[in-house]
Amino acid sequence: MRIITHTCPACGTIVAANELEHRRVLKCPNISCNEVLRFEDLSDEEREFFIHHKENYQI
Amino acid sequence: MKGLILSGGRGTRLRPITHTGPKQLVPVANKPVLQYVIEDLRDAGITDIGIVLGNLGREAIQEYFGNGSDFGVEITYIVQGNPLGLAHAAGCAREFIGDDSFVMYLGDNMLKQGIDELVRGFKDNGHTASIALQQVEKPEQFGVPELNDDGEIVRLIEKPNEPPSDLALIGVYIFSPLIFDVIERLEPSWRGELEITDAIQMLIDDEHSIDSHVVEGWWKDTGKPEDILEANRLVLEDQSSQANGIVETGAETSGRIELHETATIENGATVRGPVSIGPGVTIKSGTYVGPYTSIGAETEIAGTHIENSVVVGESKITASETIVDSLIGRGAMIQDTDGLLPKGRRLIIGENSNVRL
Repeated sequence: MRIITHTCPACGTIVAANELEHRRVLKCPNISCNEVLRFEDLSDEEREFFIHHKENYQI
Repeated sequence: MKGLILSGGRGTRLRPITHTGPKQLVPVANKPVLQYVIEDLRDAGITDIGIVLGNLGREAIQEYFGNGSDFGVEITYIVQGNPLGLAHAAGCAREFIGDDSFVMYLGDNMLKQGIDELVRGFKDNGHTASIALQQVEKPEQFGVPELNDDGEIVRLIEKPNEPPSDLALIGVYIFSPLIFDVIERLEPSWRGELEITDAIQMLIDDEHSIDSHVVEGWWKDTGKPEDILEANRLVLEDQSSQANGIVETGAETSGRIELHETATIENGATVRGPVSIGPGVTIKSGTYVGPYTSIGAETEIAGTHIENSVVVGESKITASETIVDSLIGRGAMIQDTDGLLPKGRRLIIGENSNVRL
């Protein structure tokens, strides 16, 4: 299964796409970082792939 | 080589303790389980460590470990979110791992002898993966490998009815980055997770060699309260005496006692090791603290007999009762009912608590 992640450009914390998609816009989960991360930070292709296979990323 | 610690999971078997914090921060001998894992990696020469966080307790883990510098390592946090399986957790770390090999270590597991031998063996022998195994009494409850004469794993069987050996997979693996190509080909299992055992089996099917390493000394998965107590007993069994705190004249102490420099054993109290007593703890007169007990920071105990127990911290225990085999969560108060009418127990207990009166 393809696993898509995004790395916070400010602190290097890595966030799975399911977390980004679930919240759409979130403060970086690193408690020492104030960067704002967005589902839109993923490429168009990654977002499209994730949404088409969303059921695989839910439990 | 890098380290990858999996620290997700809901900790349901440790409720109510895990209602307010992740299971990886439950203390054993006054140190979170996860700290033992970090120290095992560091002691094996691995200081570049990724910690995979789930949905629960991610802030608490970051607050405790920060960037890792206080523990001699450098930590990168990886947020998995939904618990989609161990292989998914590993897959989330692909960018962090890069072209390195890595140790994957479950964050609620503890090993007496660390992972130094496992790591050295892997560096020497050039296998695609190496899996830590240990002899267990009930292999049918675990993932069990079938080994060839060279000790290589040729098949994995999950919870077999007829185990081919009494060896079981424990929570420590070493992988080359080839594992990521395999994870990408995995499909979710019947329970909706990407299973690491499926990934390993796929490596085997692709004719990669998978080494095994039988771990000596004890191994504990600290998923349940009785496991925490057992791990606490095992760690205290090996601990040396460090009585740096105040032992007042008239206090009776024996055995190995780890006493923080800011802790006090008052006149009239009895402490028999092995025990661990954390910062700011006061053991007052009339108290008995018996073997295999850990008392967490800022706790006061007065007039109670307590043994073979773990007190997480910030508790006040003043009941004239005997407490044994207990795991007492942070901030709990256990008091007498003397003078209160009607007579009877008075309980304010959180969801999923387990009390025996």
